[in-house]
Amino acid sequence: MDDKAVLRTRDFWTALVLLAVSIFFLIQTTDIPFLDSKAAGVDSAEWYNSAALVPFGIFGSLLLLSLVLLAVAIRDGGAGRALSAVSVGLDSAELKRLAAIAVILVCYIFGLVPRVDFIIGSALMITCLIWGFHGGSRVAMLISSIAIAVPALYATIVHFGRDQWAKPHDDDWVTLVAFVILTAVMFWRARRDPDGKTVVRITPVVAVLCPLILVLAMAFGFRQNVPNRTGLFFKQIEYHYYVTVKPLFQGK
Amino acid sequence: MEFVITQLAGFSTSLIALVLDPVTYFYLIPSVFLGIVFGALPGLTATLAVTILTGFFGNKFPLDQALIALIGAYVGAIYGGSYPSILLNIPGTAASAATAMDGYPLTKQGKGGEALGLTTTASFIGTLFGTFCLLIFVWVLLAVSKNIASPEKALLALFGILLSGTLMSKDLVIKGWISGLIGLAMAMVGLDPLLSEERYVFEWSYLLSGFQVVPVLMGAFAIPQIMEGARHAIMAGKAPKVGRIAPEIGEVVRRMPTILRSGAIGTGVGALPGVGEDVAGWVSYGVGKAASKEGHKFGQGSKDGLISAEAANNAAIGGALIPLLVLGIPGSPPAAALLGALKINNVIPGPTIDPALILHVVAILVLASLTMLLMGLFTARVFITILRIPQTVFLPVVMVLTTIGSFSVGGGINDLFLMIGVGFVAYAMNAMHYPIAPLVIGVILGGLFDETFRRSLLISDGDLSVFVSRPGAAILLTLNVVLILSQIPTIKRFAMRLRPGG
Repeated sequence: MDDKAVLRTRDFWTALVLLAVSIFFLIQTTDIPFLDSKAAGVDSAEWYNSAALVPFGIFGSLLLLSLVLLAVAIRDGGAGRALSAVSVGLDSAELKRLAAIAVILVCYIFGLVPRVDFIIGSALMITCLIWGFHGGSRVAMLISSIAIAVPALYATIVHFGRDQWAKPHDDDWVTLVAFVILTAVMFWRARRDPDGKTVVRITPVVAVLCPLILVLAMAFGFRQNVPNRTGLFFKQIEYHYYVTVKPLFQGK
Repeated sequence: MEFVITQLAGFSTSLIALVLDPVTYFYLIPSVFLGIVFGALPGLTATLAVTILTGFFGNKFPLDQALIALIGAYVGAIYGGSYPSILLNIPGTAASAATAMDGYPLTKQGKGGEALGLTTTASFIGTLFGTFCLLIFVWVLLAVSKNIASPEKALLALFGILLSGTLMSKDLVIKGWISGLIGLAMAMVGLDPLLSEERYVFEWSYLLSGFQVVPVLMGAFAIPQIMEGARHAIMAGKAPKVGRIAPEIGEVVRRMPTILRSGAIGTGVGALPGVGEDVAGWVSYGVGKAASKEGHKFGQGSKDGLISAEAANNAAIGGALIPLLVLGIPGSPPAAALLGALKINNVIPGPTIDPALILHVVAILVLASLTMLLMGLFTARVFITILRIPQTVFLPVVMVLTTIGSFSVGGGINDLFLMIGVGFVAYAMNAMHYPIAPLVIGVILGGLFDETFRRSLLISDGDLSVFVSRPGAAILLTLNVVLILSQIPTIKRFAMRLRPGG
């Protein structure tokens, strides 16, 4: 099947999603005062000044364009092929690879960054992405996804609420152990792979140095906010920066 | 003439102040270097370079210093994209896709170094050309823009989104428009600008202030690149050996008409709202093919073809900054990121912009292009070596950069959730051939469109004729209508029949 046929099949589904989304938001827009905009018994605005005016235009146009897209997709045969997974242009290996990338990113952003020391969490994510996808090995991809999912799930379940994010460092330790084990597995498996050895050797260096340098530059150089200032490593770094290093430079 | 002399005098003062300040070099040299690296590595883009630096500098640094870094990276990245295009036939950025057409055949003929030298010089002259146009036209347009009121602003914002959607779409034009509408819809979230009415907040207080620009930019431009890079890792491989890089002066002088023509096209296309450097490169390449004496050799290693694309995409930088500074409407996706930086520093581009800021921007562009030229001629081999870094190694590092950059600007974890959400949506849209630039431009211009459209109706008591009674508004409305109608198949076919021989 050619690319255009695959694209039109995807367009068929996208048009349906866009139709549903635009109808949903058109209904939501009706909650915003439009023709009868009275607040506390007083006329607050005319229709042309209503906060709903532009959104009605936007979602109305989106509805219209999604109908056009649907018509184009049906005309080009997208509807007929729509129920076949093959016609959507997805094979299971591609889907698994995409799902693994999504799992790593979601675990990192939703599970690790808010709760775990930024340096440790980022080191684990970098290792997972490099090793999991560099050589195209399915096993490496699977191990990487599990290696990040376990500490992310642990951190999310044990320290779910915002008040728990800066609490004890058990999740930091779990993530650190996951990083060490993943690195060890990576080296162990690289014994029989001479081509990937260079990348494997530099991975831990990149994984540790990159977030470390970045977080130091951001926090103490650029004076910007950094995630999780109470993390296992960062707390120590910050303490020694203010208590040991800074007074030293100030001659105290 | 007096006007030009006054401008040049003001520019000289700004340039001298910048040259004499040592801090300038502290920002300029690393940012141009970083920009070239971002451009040279396939998967990283000029927009991403500017966006990441926007996140780093946030609003905690003086804007004049942050601008040195942002513009330096912008100039460097547009030029840097030529390295993999010429040496590996892999465009480093969309802007350098046309460069590969003749750059790679030249490399195969053993003239890779010569091609790089010519590209560097053409990019330098192209950037200077665009900068000169910026210096002159920005003031003319600023004088005109003093008469621009809400109806014109609303229609111009709409035109920017529509034009970007039309020209950036690789598949159906409606996909570009849908992308722009999604961006506009995202801009509607939060308190409305006139009545402070809540819209689509769903009882989540974070949404009251609307979607923040930097996380949206990071999500839209970085996350899809990271996902695509991990999914289909491009192994750039070893670049072929290149010889002497510095071009012969005689060769450059001989090709000066092509460089200047491409510079003019690049600046013009760059100045169109929301279009950008890639379109500039292709348009100039197409015109070059028709105009050049060696047009028949285009695609087989023509130096004119190479120059046509490269001078234009760099000249587009100056062009893209014209609508940005005059109207607050970005001329290209990296300019949209630059607008994000201005916004978080509470600078509102438009008729009320500080003239010193414009002269500062022009002076930075000149210095950045000079730095780019020197780096291109003397440190090109460093960038050629960098090409060997696999995507799978540098993209995870980009993920960390975007995460910390996105977090720093807003200081909240919710911005990261927004970033990843936008990123997944942008990835899906990319996979279905929806352009992302109109979405981002929609997000950035949505607030302006909403406010000025309703303000226009408020002034006229709901009379829609306000959009036709003012000459400027009438012209812009016509442009919008013509743009939409010109894309309708029936009208397209009718127009084709009307053409001679059609």
